[in-house]
Amino acid sequence: MNRREALKRMAVLAGGTLSATTITAVMNGCRAGEADRALRTLSAHQNKLIIVLTELIMPETDTPGAKTANVNQFVDKMLTDWNYEEEREQFLSELNAIDPLSRKKFGSLFLDLDRGQQKEILQQKEKEARQSKDKGAYKPFFDMLKEYTVVGYFTSEVGAGEVMGWTAVPGKYEGNLDQPPGKR
Amino acid sequence: MADTNKTNTYDAIVVGSGISGGWAAKELTENGLKTLMLERGRNVEHGDYPTEHQPPWDAEFRGRGKRKLFREKYHRQRKSGVLNEYNYHFFVNDKKHPYVTDEDDFVLWVRGYQTGGRSLTWGRQCYRWSDLDFEANKRDGFGVDWPIRYEDIKSWYSYVEEFAGISGQEEGIPHLPDGVFLPPMEMNVVEQHAKKQIEQAFPRRHMTIGRTAVLTQPHKGRGACHYCGPCSRGCSVGAYFSTQSSTLPAARATGNLTLRANSVVHSVIYDEKTGKASGVRVIDRETKETTEFFADVIFLCASAIGSTQILLNSKNKRFPNGLANSSGVLGHYLMDHHFRVGAVGDMPGFEDKYTFGDRPNGIYVPRFRNLDARTNHPDFLRGYGYQGAAYRPGWKRGLRMDGFGADFKEKLLDPGPWKMYLGAFGEVLPRYENKVELDEEQTDEWGMPLVKTQGDIGENEQAMRKDMAEAAAEMLETAGAKNVRTYDAGYDLGQCIHEMGTARMGRDPESSVLNGYNQAHDVPNLFVTDGACMTSSACQNPSITYMALTARAVDYAVEELKKGNI
Repeated sequence: MNRREALKRMAVLAGGTLSATTITAVMNGCRAGEADRALRTLSAHQNKLIIVLTELIMPETDTPGAKTANVNQFVDKMLTDWNYEEEREQFLSELNAIDPLSRKKFGSLFLDLDRGQQKEILQQKEKEARQSKDKGAYKPFFDMLKEYTVVGYFTSEVGAGEVMGWTAVPGKYEGNLDQPPGKR
Repeated sequence: MADTNKTNTYDAIVVGSGISGGWAAKELTENGLKTLMLERGRNVEHGDYPTEHQPPWDAEFRGRGKRKLFREKYHRQRKSGVLNEYNYHFFVNDKKHPYVTDEDDFVLWVRGYQTGGRSLTWGRQCYRWSDLDFEANKRDGFGVDWPIRYEDIKSWYSYVEEFAGISGQEEGIPHLPDGVFLPPMEMNVVEQHAKKQIEQAFPRRHMTIGRTAVLTQPHKGRGACHYCGPCSRGCSVGAYFSTQSSTLPAARATGNLTLRANSVVHSVIYDEKTGKASGVRVIDRETKETTEFFADVIFLCASAIGSTQILLNSKNKRFPNGLANSSGVLGHYLMDHHFRVGAVGDMPGFEDKYTFGDRPNGIYVPRFRNLDARTNHPDFLRGYGYQGAAYRPGWKRGLRMDGFGADFKEKLLDPGPWKMYLGAFGEVLPRYENKVELDEEQTDEWGMPLVKTQGDIGENEQAMRKDMAEAAAEMLETAGAKNVRTYDAGYDLGQCIHEMGTARMGRDPESSVLNGYNQAHDVPNLFVTDGACMTSSACQNPSITYMALTARAVDYAVEELKKGNI
C-alpha cells in the first residue's frame, strides 16, 4: 500500500476528510529520515544552490518536484561516495562559479535572482555542456547535475513510489492496455 | 584413517550445486544414493535474497551500481552486463578469484560461487535442440560427431521440463521442438503486430513468446510469477527455476543428501589399481584445511571451465595431462554464443497502448538460416536465433533528452514511444585454439593453479554477425519499424555466460573426453554433465539441455552401478 492509499484509507477509517495539516504531517513523517540526513560534501550554501537548481530541472507541477523528493540529498550522496575526487572537485568548482556568473549577468547572487533569471543561468550551463569540445574524463557540470536530478527524482520514494506508482509486486502482466496503468 | 574414510564415504559425490549439480543431486538421491553435494562458495538458503523487492530508494546508489567497488573488484564480472547493484553478491569478486587471459583473445569467465551457483542469476530461456543441432558437426565436418541424437534425449527433455516448469507456446517447428509447457506469457500488442507482419512476409520465419523457466501458474508447491521483473535478485516464492527453488528441496526430501558448502574441490582422486575415481580432495574455503571424500560414482557439475580446471589439476602417472585426458582434447574447443548484435527501431502507431507489470521474458525468433538447401546462406555455416521485445522506454531516456523544467518533467512521467529490438544469439564453431589450461606459475589462495584461457570467434561467426544485424533490421522494417538502426557492440568469448565444450562428448575416445552418457571414456565412474560436455554449441540457450543430459546420465550411472559395471 502506498502512502496515498494509506491516507485514503485513514480518511475512510476516520469517517471523514483529514485536515490538510494532518496530511502534510503524515507525508513529511514518511520522509523525515531522509530530510534530516546530514550533508557530507555540500556546504549549507552549496546545498541551497543545488535545491534551486534541481528544482529548476524537475519542478513541482501538479506532482511534487525535486525539492520535495529530497534530490539534494541524493546529489550530496553521489558527490561523496560515487564520484572520484577530481570529478567531485570539478563539479563543485563549477557550482561555486554559479554566483559569480549570476553577478556578472544579472548583478545579484544566484539565490536572489528571479526564477526566469535562474533559468537563464542554467540554460547557459546547458549550452556550455553541449558546446564543450573537451571530451574529458568526466561529464560536464550540467550533464552531471541533470543526471543526478533525474535519477534522484525517479528513484526516490516520492518520485518512484508516489508519482510513478512503483509497486514491488505488480501481480500480473498486461500487454495491451488503453490507459496508462495507475498513473496519477 | 579407516574411520575417516567411513564418515567421509558416500554412494555418490556431486561437485557443484548449480543447474547441473542440482539436477544430479536430485536424481541420485531419488534413486536412493547417499549423495554428497559440494559447493565451493558460501551457502545460500532459499529466501536468502536480501534485495528481493527492494525499492530503488533503499539501494545505496539507487540502482546506479557501486561504481568504485565494481571497477576495482568486479571489473571482469561486470562485463557480462548482468551484474548490478541488486545482485552483485551472487557474483565472484575478481580480486579474490582471478584467472589469466589474453588481452587479444580475451575470455570472460563469469561465476557465482554460492549454493545454487548461477542458477540464481541465469537468463531462464529454455529451448530444445533438434537433429539440426546434433547432426551439425557431422554434416559440415567442424568438430566431432555428437554421440547422441534428438531421439536419445527427447524423453529426458520432457522429464526435466515437467519438473522445472517451462512456460511457452507450442509452434510445431521441427528444428525447435515443442516441450512440455505451462501456459505461455503474453506478447504485448506491438509484439503481436510484429509477429503477424514478419510471419506474413517470411513464410519460414516464426516469432514466439520466450520459452522460459518461469512459472505462469503454481507448480509443484512453487508460486506463479508476480511480474516484479528482476529475477536475478532471487525469488522467494520460487517462480523461476533455481537449485534453491526446485532441485535442492527435492533432493533434501529424500533424506539422502548432504550439502557441504565452502568446499573447494582441488582434484579427483584416481585409484590406479581399480582404474576408477575413488573420491575428491576438498579444501575448506575458510580454514584451508584439506579433507578427502569418497564415493562409488562422481559427477562433475562445476561449470564447463570449473570442471575442466579440476580434471586438469587431477594429474597422476596414468594421466599426466589431466584426469580422463588420454585424448588430449580436455580444455580445448571452448564455445559460447556470440551476441550483442542486432537492430532496434521505433514502432509508431501504438501511442495509446500501454503495458502493466514487468514481464521477465521477451520474444524469440527461432533460427531460419541453413535449415536446408532453400535456406542456405552463402557466407556462413550454422545459424542464430533472436531474442527481443517491444517496449516503451521509461524515465531513463531523460538522460539523453535535451532541456529541463516542467515540460521535460511531464514528458518523463509518461512512457516513451514504442521501440522494438531483436538481439541475435549465434552458434560458435568448436575450435581447438579456444582453450582452458592451468597457469603453471600462479595459484589462488586455496592453492589451485589459476585457470588460463584464451579464445575468439572466427571468420564464420564474423560473417554471421553481419547477417544477424542486417536480417534483424529487415524484419523490424517489415514489422513497421521506423528509424531502424543496426548495432554490433562487440563480443568476447564467454560474455554470453554459455561456456561449453572443454570436455566434449564423442564416439571416439581418441578425440573426446566423454561418451554418449557423459561418462569419461577413461574413467568409468566419472561423469561430467555441465557445459563442458557439449560437442557443438547450437544457438539455443543451453541450460535445459544440461538438465536433460544430467538426468539421463544419472539414470545410466545408477543402472551401471546396479549391474556392477562401474
